[in-house]
Amino acid sequence: MEKLMQDLKVQIIQQLNLQEVKPEDIGDDQPLFKEGLGLDSIDALELIVLLQQYHNIRIAKPEDGPNIFYSIRTMAEYITAEKAKQA
Amino acid sequence: MKAFIQGAGCVSAQDSNVFPGEVRNYEGDRLPVADPDYKQWIDIKQIRRMGRAIKMGVAASHMSLESAGIKNPDAIIMGTAYGCLADTGVFLQKLVTQQEDMLTPTAFIQSTHNTVAGQIALLLGCHAYNNTFVHGAFSLENALQDSLLLLAEDPSRNILAGATDEITDYSHTILRRFGLYKNAHTSELLQSQSQGTMAGEGAAFFVLSAGKGEHSIAQLTAVDMLYRPASEAETAEHIRAFLQRNGLQPADVSLLLTGRNGDTTNDRYYETVEQSMFSNTPVAAFKHFCGEYPTAAAFGVWLAAGSLRRGSIPEEAMVKGQPPVQPERILIWNHHHAKHHSLILLEKC
Repeated sequence: MEKLMQDLKVQIIQQLNLQEVKPEDIGDDQPLFKEGLGLDSIDALELIVLLQQYHNIRIAKPEDGPNIFYSIRTMAEYITAEKAKQA
Repeated sequence: MKAFIQGAGCVSAQDSNVFPGEVRNYEGDRLPVADPDYKQWIDIKQIRRMGRAIKMGVAASHMSLESAGIKNPDAIIMGTAYGCLADTGVFLQKLVTQQEDMLTPTAFIQSTHNTVAGQIALLLGCHAYNNTFVHGAFSLENALQDSLLLLAEDPSRNILAGATDEITDYSHTILRRFGLYKNAHTSELLQSQSQGTMAGEGAAFFVLSAGKGEHSIAQLTAVDMLYRPASEAETAEHIRAFLQRNGLQPADVSLLLTGRNGDTTNDRYYETVEQSMFSNTPVAAFKHFCGEYPTAAAFGVWLAAGSLRRGSIPEEAMVKGQPPVQPERILIWNHHHAKHHSLILLEKC
């Protein structure tokens, strides 16, 4: 899980072109949207693409998005759970 | 309709803070812009989504508004030939490499030509008239003409007008294959006596209004275009008629500012027409400062307006004759591949 969270931070910085943000600046439980990283709705679409591109996961229920993308930890937990289902 | 240029801003290969006092020279086949610190105008969270064309446009527009002392214009009108090329390239590349799947929205959103004017409006919170002209090497000129028409309708407006175009590695490689560019040094470009020129990019914006104000830099008297003239003689006749419509003769022009770019075929055109009607007029050029691109005339307007305000022409710009002291009138004549000819007349105010 720690490795996955670290990878996610790097992938998010790259995908969203977060200039001047380093992986260590993003807290595991820090909210990604509004406060915290301050991401917006366009970034949400980028994160959906990121899940498909890097982790081969498509979000079945869009209404789950706010919970999945709440923080790095919630994203990592979702990815881990989906991978377990795929296995 | 005439307009007064109340403010001007430019992002180009030259450092706007010191040019023309200090001229930057380049070697190679392209002139990159001297990027200012964009973070002074754009929030770091927004800048990450902007390509260079957008950043240059936003910066130049803010510079022009600041120099005019205006916070929010009554219209935003701009021209661009290539639009946001970098983002278009990113989007198209992903379209191919990812087989039309998993395409990210940002590059697509930012790839349209009118993104620049849109971003300027968003950052200013400006809900006024917003228009982008994409007419190749006539894009700037159409933006200026639309501005003059708007001012004729409503003289109380302040209009933000300008142009932007960028080079990307892809576009430069493709255009270079056509033999458009050559390796040269900018200080020797105009004397290079060979085919090809140096590529350029940049943005310049102007605040235009109908009345003269305390910040007025120069008067934009007239804009005209000529597409694919049959000969140099036809072009000369067109320029003469343009001047006559404005009550002028060629001898009334203090300085002819041409779009010479170091390409012999290109520059011979200027030479022929100058010999026939501007034999006693000082002649200058601007593309050895900014490079060749379809909206380079915007840099010429910025240079001419600043020269009229300062009352002097930079020595490095001169091609023929002595730099006029306290010039009254500058005619910018630019052509792009001898197809798109534009005439922009500026006067001292």
